[in-house]
Parts: sequence; C-alpha cells; structure tokens
Amino acid sequence: MPQRVPWFRLNRELPHKRRLILSFLSFVLPLASWCIISYVPFVWHPMRKITDPGDVTWISRDQLVDGDAFETANAQARSQGRKEASGTPANPVFLPAPHEVARALFTGFTTRPPRPEEPWLHQSLWHSITVIFWGFFASSVIGVPLGVLCGALPAMARLNEPFIEFFRYLPAPAFGALAVAVLGIHDPPKIAIIFIGTFFQQVLVIANTTRRVDPALLEAAQTLGASRRQLLFRVVVPGVITDIYTDMRILLGWAWTYLIVAELIGVSSGITYFINQQAKYRNYDKVFASIFLIGLIGFFSDVFLAALGRRLFPWARTARGSWMGTVARIFRGKREAETRERAAEEDVAPA
Amino acid sequence: MMGAIELPSHTEQPPEVRERFRRLKARPVILEVKKLVKAFETPHGTLCALDGVSLEAHRREFLCVIGPSGCGKSTLARILAGLEDSTSGEVLLDGAPIRGPGPDRGMVFQAYTLFPWLTVLRNVMFGLEVTEACSRDQAEREARQWIELVGLKRFTDSYPHQLSGGMKQRVAIARALANRPRILLMDEPFGALDAQTRSQMQAYLLQIWKAVDVTIVFITHDLEEAVYLADRILVLDAHPGRIRELVEVPVPRPRRPEHFVSPSFLATRKHLEELIHPGSYDHNELPMIRMTQVGDDVE
Repeated sequence: MPQRVPWFRLNRELPHKRRLILSFLSFVLPLASWCIISYVPFVWHPMRKITDPGDVTWISRDQLVDGDAFETANAQARSQGRKEASGTPANPVFLPAPHEVARALFTGFTTRPPRPEEPWLHQSLWHSITVIFWGFFASSVIGVPLGVLCGALPAMARLNEPFIEFFRYLPAPAFGALAVAVLGIHDPPKIAIIFIGTFFQQVLVIANTTRRVDPALLEAAQTLGASRRQLLFRVVVPGVITDIYTDMRILLGWAWTYLIVAELIGVSSGITYFINQQAKYRNYDKVFASIFLIGLIGFFSDVFLAALGRRLFPWARTARGSWMGTVARIFRGKREAETRERAAEEDVAPA
Repeated sequence: MMGAIELPSHTEQPPEVRERFRRLKARPVILEVKKLVKAFETPHGTLCALDGVSLEAHRREFLCVIGPSGCGKSTLARILAGLEDSTSGEVLLDGAPIRGPGPDRGMVFQAYTLFPWLTVLRNVMFGLEVTEACSRDQAEREARQWIELVGLKRFTDSYPHQLSGGMKQRVAIARALANRPRILLMDEPFGALDAQTRSQMQAYLLQIWKAVDVTIVFITHDLEEAVYLADRILVLDAHPGRIRELVEVPVPRPRRPEHFVSPSFLATRKHLEELIHPGSYDHNELPMIRMTQVGDDVE
C-alpha cells in the first residue's frame, strides 16, 4: 500500500498533481463562495425583489426592498385586511451575481456609452494602460540605472539613498494638487503620480537586489583581468538582471494601485472614471466587470512577462512565480533532465 | 597498522626524482614572495594570519600549500591573486611587484564561480574578451581548444547549471588558463567535490598541467592530495601563519593512483601528518562524561 503523504508539510514542494489542484482551487473556491451567496436563496439575501406590490402603497413592482421593512409593511397590511405584497429573496444591488457580471463583461465592450461624449469601455481601459505605461516607463528609465549604480557603488548609495528613503514615505497622492498646478489637468499629472509612487521604491528595491550580486563572481572576473567598468557591465548587470526583472514585475503591480488614485486627479479619466460613472448609474455589474478587467490585465501581463523572462534569460533555471511557470516547466522538464543525465554520464566516464 | 610497514625517510629521493628537482631548480624563478605579513585587526587584538612567509616558485613547478585550518593558506592565495593587500612584504611575479588582480595570475576558487548567464564557451572566452588580448574569432577558437583540453567539447554551449560540480571546476580551470597566466592559483578547488570526483579531478589536473606551461600554486587541506599533485609542499603553521617546512615530494612522475600506496608516498604523508598534527593522537580523546545509563556489557 502506498504511503499516505500529508498535504500540509513545512518546506516541502508538493507533488505536481497536487500543485495543479491547489492552483485550480485558489480560483475556484472564491468563485464558489460568490456563487453560493448569490444563488442559494437562504444564504444572506437580505432584500426582497417585489413581484407583486399588493395593496402596499409605497412599494412598486421590481423594487428592491429591505427584508425587515417588507415584513413590517406586510404585517401592517395583514392587520388592516389588505392584500400583502409578495417578493423573492434578493441580494443588495451592490452585489451582482456572477452571471450578471459575466454578462456585463461581454456586453461592456459592445454597449454604447449613455452619453455620446463619454468613452467606451475599451477606450477607458486603453487610456489607463497608456497612462500606466508612460508613468512606469519614465520611472524605470531613470530608476533602474540609478538603482543599479547605487547597488554597485557605495558612494552613489550614500549620496542618493538617504533622500530617497525619506521621500518614499511621502504618499504619492499627496502630490496630486501640486501635480495639477504644475502639469495641468489632463494626463501629465496622472503620469507624475505614478512616477512618484513607483520611482523611489524602485531605486531602493533595485539597489538592494544589485547588492546581492555574488562577490565571488566579481573576484573571479577580477582575476580574469576585468576592469571596473567591465565588472559593472559584464558581471554586476548580467548577474542581477533576472532578479531585477522579477522586481520590475512586482513594481508594475504597485503602479496599478497608484493608477486608481492618479486617475481621480484633475479631469477624471480612464477605467477609474468608467467605474465611478457606472457606480453613479448603480450598474454594479459593470463596476465589478471593470474591476475584474483590471485584475485580468494585471494577471495576464504578469504571466506574459514571466514567460518572456524565461525566453530572455535561459540560464535562470528556476522560473519563479505563477502557475504558468509550472506549465512551462512540464514541457521543458524533459529536455533538461536529458541534459543533466548526459552530464552525469560524462563525469563518470574518463575524458 | 602503519607502523608495521618499514617506511623509508621522506627525504630519500630516487635518482630520477633527484634529477627532476635539479632541473626544476635550474629553471627561472617565476614567483617570489618576500617576508609576507598579513595582520587582521579583530576586537580581541591583532591576528597574524601570515607572519614573514617567503617562498620561491620555479617555472612549471607544482607547489602545494597545506596547513591546519586558520593558518592563512587561503589568505596567501588571495594576496598572490591581488584580491587582498598584504600588511607588509612583497610579491614579485617575473621580478616585478604585483599590483591588484590581473590576468597574469589565474585563479580557481572552491566555490563554483562560473558566470551563470554565459555558456561554457562564453565563460572560457571571458578573460580573452575583457583583456582584448586577441580578436573575437581568435578568442573563440582558443576557447574551443581549451574546452577540448578539459574534455568538455560536448558541453560547449551548455549553461553552468546544466553541469556537475566536477565539470564546472574543469570549465573554471579552462577559463583561468585561457588567459595564459604565468601562475595558476587554486584555492581548495576540489574541496566541494565528492571523493570519487575529486580523485578524478586530480588526475585531470595533472594531465592538463602536463600540456600547459604554467606554474601552479595549489592550496589544500588534504594531505594525500598534496603529495599526489605537488613537486614541493609548503607546510604552514597556524597562529601565527609561518612556514613550518618546505617538503620535496620524492614520488616520481608521472604520478598514478597506485602511487598512493607506494612507500615514498606513505612516508611523505606520514611526515606531513606529524608536522601538522604533532602528537595529535594523545589529545584527541574527548573528556566524555556518561550521559546515559549504559550497562558495562554494551561495550
């Protein structure tokens, strides 16, 4: 009889099948709870959706009424011998059911905005993506080289890091009013907020990553005749580039959080504007759909970047992160095992 | 057990070995270390890792450095490589004092220091590229030859993580030799390998050394390794690190694994052991207190 392996063990990688099951469950479980709350009538459902107002004057058909108020009104109607209202249990308007959100997700792109001057969903989304791109891009163009320099040269670190360390505690949204005053009311102040939110963290994170370069590699390169400049560009940079890439993926996620604040500054725009507008119209299914869209974009861009990373850095053996990495490893695993087998053989046989 | 065999003196050299040493010493001195001192400041006072170490290595000599842990043998290698400064004293390479690390002194470390982002080929080419010693094509051609010399032709385009420990060290040796250094410094290069791979690597190293004009300074704590590889063995004392003796190994070349049990080998080994652990057999009994109730019949 095969030995029973416990599911919860400290510091042990799980068998492949279990990893897949758990990754699957991590999405299915929240979705399932949402379904239960939405579709099982006796779970929560504090409201009543009126199917027939009866003789209760203040209720009309299809109205959402608070459960207690509904009971009180009916009790009153009963005592006065009038016809009671009837309704089905329902959730508040701000919690749409999964199928409603799914429908909103599909129809969101095809529905004409209520007013002609308002942007379509895809236009809002694209606007957000451009803002985040330029903010993150501008930050990285300066932040990555500066971070690497601070990590590699203690003098640079001493010169820059104390101030940056201080500045990163200033909340980026606090600069909103200032940014609008300086840069106008359209996209530039939004890009500036993302820049401020990203840049200072970025320099420190990348400097710290750079400091983790293996000193033995630097010494080896020195004994091979590398100059200081060559040490920086041929050892430090390639030595930490995979870790910096991972840092950048995490930082990009942070940039998305600043996006929501940034888009409220000046003329509200992008996906935030879309969400706010839909909330005003009480289209909560569309609000949820938009939030999901942001999540999906974030998730799939990260999966894409992870896959790109494996292409760019073939020497990095362990692909960190997502379950897509696991999928990729299944296909690569066989080839790698063969190479390693070959290596083992070679070592035993005399050269 | 060892005492049962009558061992010759380690100073007794067969004629062919004596002739070898005569020729060796006639060769020019490549490396000259003069009164090297290295002191570290610690919270408990000054620690003298090396105290007046002087030595000479001739061209194509294989010099091993052994000593108890803490005798400063790694420090010596790092100073020779230029990775550390000495407190006082001088290191001359071909008569000129060394200044900082340079491609004329190759180094192989105990930790695998291959660049993980470069293939085997590019790793071996690294030194030739940074020193711009020759054109890229020429560098690649030479690198391929070195890779062939260390027997890794099939792995030219592999990345380091695809190689075993022994293969990584062979690449490291090829990488260091590609610069055509005057001396090759090896700081316990096989220390991290398992016993089988290690003895294989020792044999490889002797083969490689035979094909290349290079002086090797090899740091180790493994006495048998030292006797098997070296022409001469520098024995260091610890605290402070001073030269105890310079031993000429009487085992003839080419060395083969069967030399491990030859009388001259065993005699040298025994002598080294006495130098490094004098009377250690009297002191290595631990003051054992009985912690459990073990019946006398258990012994």
